[in-house]
This record gives sequence, C-alpha cells and structure tokens, in this order.
Amino acid sequence: MGVTPAAPAALPRRDPETRARLREIAGRSRPVTLAREQSLTVTGRLGEALPLGALQRGTVVAVDGARGAGATSVAFSLVAAVTATGEWAAAVELEGTLGLEAAARAGVALERFAVVRCGSRDRWATTVATLLDGVTLVLAEVPPHARAGDVRRLVARARERGAVLVALPAPGARWPGDATLRLVAAGGCWPGLARGGGLLEERVLRLTISGKGAAARAHEAELARAG
Amino acid sequence: MPPERTLALWCPAWALSTARRVDPSLAGIPVVVVERGARGLVVCAASPEARAEGVRIGLRRREAEARCAGLTVVERDSAAEARAFEAVARATEPITPAVVLERPGVLTFPTRGPARYFGGDEALAARVLALAADAGAAEARVGVADGSFAARLAARAAPPGTAHVVHSGGTRRFLAPWPVMVLADVVGERREDGVALADLLTRLGLRTLGDLAALPASSVLARFGVDGARAHRLAAGDDELTAPPAPPPPDLVATAELDPPASRVDEAAFVAKALADDLLERLAVLGLACDRVVVEAETEHGERHVRCWRHEGGLTAAALVARVRWQLEAWLVDGASECDRQDDEATGGLVLLRLAPDRVVPAQARQLGFWGGDAAAHDRAARVLARLQGMLGHDAVVTAVVGGGRAPSERVRWVPWGEPREDADAPGAPWPGLVPGPAPARVHREPVAAELLDAAGSPVRVSGRGEASAEPAVLRCAALPGGGGDVTAWAGPWLHDLRWWTRARRRRVLWQVVVGHGEDGVACLVALERGRAAVEAVYD
Repeated sequence: MGVTPAAPAALPRRDPETRARLREIAGRSRPVTLAREQSLTVTGRLGEALPLGALQRGTVVAVDGARGAGATSVAFSLVAAVTATGEWAAAVELEGTLGLEAAARAGVALERFAVVRCGSRDRWATTVATLLDGVTLVLAEVPPHARAGDVRRLVARARERGAVLVALPAPGARWPGDATLRLVAAGGCWPGLARGGGLLEERVLRLTISGKGAAARAHEAELARAG
Repeated sequence: MPPERTLALWCPAWALSTARRVDPSLAGIPVVVVERGARGLVVCAASPEARAEGVRIGLRRREAEARCAGLTVVERDSAAEARAFEAVARATEPITPAVVLERPGVLTFPTRGPARYFGGDEALAARVLALAADAGAAEARVGVADGSFAARLAARAAPPGTAHVVHSGGTRRFLAPWPVMVLADVVGERREDGVALADLLTRLGLRTLGDLAALPASSVLARFGVDGARAHRLAAGDDELTAPPAPPPPDLVATAELDPPASRVDEAAFVAKALADDLLERLAVLGLACDRVVVEAETEHGERHVRCWRHEGGLTAAALVARVRWQLEAWLVDGASECDRQDDEATGGLVLLRLAPDRVVPAQARQLGFWGGDAAAHDRAARVLARLQGMLGHDAVVTAVVGGGRAPSERVRWVPWGEPREDADAPGAPWPGLVPGPAPARVHREPVAAELLDAAGSPVRVSGRGEASAEPAVLRCAALPGGGGDVTAWAGPWLHDLRWWTRARRRRVLWQVVVGHGEDGVACLVALERGRAAVEAVYD
C-alpha cells in the first residue's frame, strides 16, 4: 500500500485572469516552435485572429484602411509582437507622421524600433531592401505610385531574407504587390466623447483578414485597440 | 598565475608640480590646478597651503576660491605635464627598457630582471628614486608589489621621497585595509561606473578591499557582473587580467606614413585618431581589447621614439589619441629654434606613426538577454542602420524616446541612431494641459492646415480666457478622408501658453474632435493658433 498523492484539485487554483496572463506569457516565451520555426508568435486578440496565431517569416502583410480607420494601430500591434520577442524592427516613413507614443503604448520596444525617414521617393525601394537585410520586421509606408518592379523585388527580398514586410499604403491606396496576408482596418465607434464633453477612450477596431493558404477564407475580427 | 612583480613610480599632484616648475613664483603660496570637466572648472590638484584652508580635489573653482582667500588658480596643461614627465621616464630607462606609462605622473615596470641585477626590490626602489630626483621629481614615491594595482597603492602608502615594498605573497594582506573607493579608477569603462560600484559596495557594508576579497568569487560575479568580478580579483591581489595575456597577432599593427611630414602635434593627433579607430575596429572583430599599446614615431631624419602606454580596463580611441598626443608633445617641440633644442628632441617632421598593441586581452563578454535578446541580431541591425545613415543622412535614421510634453508632437524626442538614448525623465509625470486619452498613431510634425467652422459657417475662435466663440460643427482638412465633414463629438479647448517667458511667446488651443458618424468616425486633434486651425494628429 502506497501513500496516495494529493489530488491536483486540492492545489490552490489561480483566478482565470491570472491564468490567461500566464498563458499569454507562456505563448510569448515559448522556447521552441518546431514545425513553425519560421513564424513569429503574435499574442492577444490580433494573434487569435491571424492564421496559426503568428506572422510567417519571409512574407508580406499589407495593412490597408482609410486614414483614421486604424491601419497604423494594427501595424504597430504587429511591430509590438515582433519586438516583444527581442527581434528588431524598423519603419520607413515618407512624410514623418508616425506617432511613436502610440507605438510605445501598443507595446513596441522603442529601443529596438528604428525609424528611417526617406525623403526622396527614388530611394524608397533601396531603403526598404536594405532594411530587410538587417531587421526582422520592416514597416514600410508605400508611396502612391510605387513601381511594380520594385515591389516585386521587395517581396522576393523579404522571402529570401526571412523578414516580414508590413506594407502600409497611402490612405485609400492598395499594396500593388503580392501579399500573404491582407488586413483591412475598417474603423470603429469612438466611445467616451460627447458634444463638448467627455474624454476619448480606446475603441474596438474592426478588421477584415484575408490572404493565401491558411487565411484564404476572409474573416472579420474585432480588436480592442487605441488610436 | 601569480601577478607579475611590479614597481610603480608615482609623482603625487604632478599637475601641481608641473605648474610650479613652469612658474617658480607659485612656490609656497596656495595654488590649485583646475581642469574643465562636465561641471565646469574643477580642482584637480591643490597645494598643501590650499588644502590647509579646506580646498579639496573635485571642488568647483568658485567654491575653492570662496574657501581660500588669495588662491591662485592655474589651468591644467596636460602637454606640459607630459613633457615634464618624459624626462622622468627617460631617466628610468637605463634601469629597464620595459617602462610603461599610465598617465603623466605614473609609470610602472616589471621588476623581475632589474631587481636581481641591483640586488633586491629595496635597492632597486632606492635607485629609481635617486634617478627620479635627479630628473626633477623629488617628491616621487615608489611602491613594489605583486601586480600594478597593488604597486600603485604601495606607492601611495610610502612617505614622500621614499619607497614601500610589499613582500611577495603579502599583497593580499597589504590590500585588505584599503577602502573600496580605490577601485573607482580601475574598474569599469568610465570612472563614473567605478565610482558607482565602489559606492554600492560601501553602502552594502563592504568598506574595505579585505571585506570584498572575503566573499566567494562566483557570488560576486553573479551579483555585480563583470566589473564586480574584476574588483574582486583586484581586491584579492590576483592578477588583473582575466586571461593570460596573449602576444597580439602581428597584423594588428596600425601604421600611417605622413606625407608631407607633420611638424605639429595636432596634425599627428589627427592621423592618430584614424589609426586608433582602425586598430580598435580590427581588435573588436577578433573579440579582443588592448590594455597596453606601443606608440612609435619616426621623423624624417630617422629618429625614433617609442613608448609603451597602459590603461586600466582597455584603451578607447580617445584615450589612445590622448596618449599619442602626450608622447609627441614631449618630443616634437613646435617651433623651437635649433639652438634651444635639446639633444633628445626631434629635429624634423614626423613621417611615420605606428600603434602596436603590446598586450591584448579578451574583450568583455556581453551578457545575452534572457528572453532571446540576441547580440547577433543587434549587430546585424546596427550595420544596416549605419549603412542607411550613410545613404540618407545622420538624422534620417532615428529612434524615439517618449518624454513629457503637452501636445503629441512634443512628447516624442528623436535620437539619431548611434547617439545615446537617454531616457527622458518621468514620461508619466503629470502635464497640466495634456490632452488625455489614447495616443494618436499619426502625428503631423507640420500640422496640416484646416478649417474649424461653427454651425453658421464662420471660424471658431477661442478667447484669451479659453472660451470658444461657438460650438464646432464642421472640420475641413486635406489630411482627413473625404476632406473632413461634420463634427459629431468634441472635447476642449485645452489652452496652452507656450514659451510665455520669451518673446517668442505664443498661444495654442487644442480640440479633440470626432468627424463623421458611428463606425466611420475619425478622431483627430485640431490646433488653433493665431486664428488658424490645423490638424495636429489623427487617431489612426
């Protein structure tokens, strides 16, 4: 006769909130990804909405949406997921309008997120290509009339280097090239603000996700995200 | 490996004795030598007369003058110090060729050969003191101990003009009573790091080197990192080097030929900067740091001047250039006429400068981040970003630091890549007038002109007291989808009085506005300044 071990049910149980947070941390710090070695895990609501819950290395993600619809916030969430795992990211901005405080609040590690200001459109493709060589994720604002040849070369470069290219076309425009994932931000109601009073609060952002392979079927997701 | 038995010659307050030698009228009166530092002019040496009045090293010039009436203040002249110390270094050369200079005022050499020749450490020390006194350093003190750190402390323990010899094997006992603050100069990359570590040790109750040495080495490494481990080794009287020094590979020698010959020290120092950068870069590739370097210079007439320089904790490019400068100051005397040239000074311009690492040590290992922080990824990114900086300009590659401010554009500071990212203090501190709520993802550094109109179609104005003339009803701006539209919700105005203490004073009013209905609503920040409206930021 042996001693019966204590039943696991007798152990103190953590509250669901703590369990959820622990699960999130475990997901972020998962040491091996085995078959999905080429993926970068995305946590949170956005991760649940993405196929396999991750960004695949070597792919292109296009984030579209009218100005004010939340495309930049979605892009920052992707950057945050990548920098949180210790990888480096960079942004190419054309007009110098990225609000990095919003990025920091979305969870981007600013010390690993370089911003490159590309004033001349002629050098845009070279700049993005150079960055794809050195960092894991490149968030590139796309000029309105990017040459199809340049775009094709960038897609190939991202695949070859195992980097993720997040294309953020000018408002209203579309990424002219191939994309594994297309995220279209569709805005959402702004709560909290009234006529002459109240305070702007974080909104729930609607997002349409479509793409190739696992994401072939377009679906919609909601994302609790700020401006 | 037991540390090498070393003799250190220390001339206390060398800056002061140099100043007095240059200007003999300074003898016997209170004098301080000041040096320009981060805090302005700071005392770096004080005469005994000034010390008696309470002047201490590290005081600001004004404080020193306040404490001691009639104080004479002299600015430090490191070139003159190097020149004067060169005479002392040359005087010791008959004893040993292996003289290593640390800075003007301190030199060391291994005693193994000369001590046997002259009949023991004491006899050798007496001989060195006599030679130094002949060369004009009558106050010099000599210490002999195992390792150069202990030897320098032994020199400090000796009364002026005498020697203190710590017998072999007694170094640890000799070091034990010294306060940990003596480590400040020799630990860490910068002096501040060393001071911070010594300060921390003191606060933890480890007041002397003996206390520190009594701890287990592995625990010290775990708690205080690489610097702490080095401090522990020094305190225990162990060799200062983490690994046995290796003879450097011969291809590490950096040589520059100067054509036309350089006749001034500045020209040579300019070349030395490029040489030093090149040398350190090649060492870094091999994962090495250099703590002793031989600087060799040759003139057009074939004269050669060779000196070995040593530096605690590895030489940086700037430190290396300073040493080249010191050495050449003493040798290349600008504009001296032929007749007052001494026979040991250079007679022609400099044609060759060579930096040869004399002893290399493994560079400090970098601790990898626990959650996948990857040094290789950092290096890869750094290379690419530096390349882009070369292509697009220094300011075109930046990282952001979030700090304090009221408008979104003021809250982010852009730091060019490669410059230190000093975190702004307290980004979470309250800023009266800060627009609350989420941070906008699009911030126009050049606000986009807009029209904020009331229901009647006239522009909304805000009085000096912050009262709006009417409720905003329409916002038109090119930066918004569809060129703007009806205002459905708003908050504000937030009144900002900017730079009211200068002539450039201006007033700005911010509104938080949602344009459009329901799901299509676009939230943005509108600034009103001098009657003109502009969209500052869009919540995207």
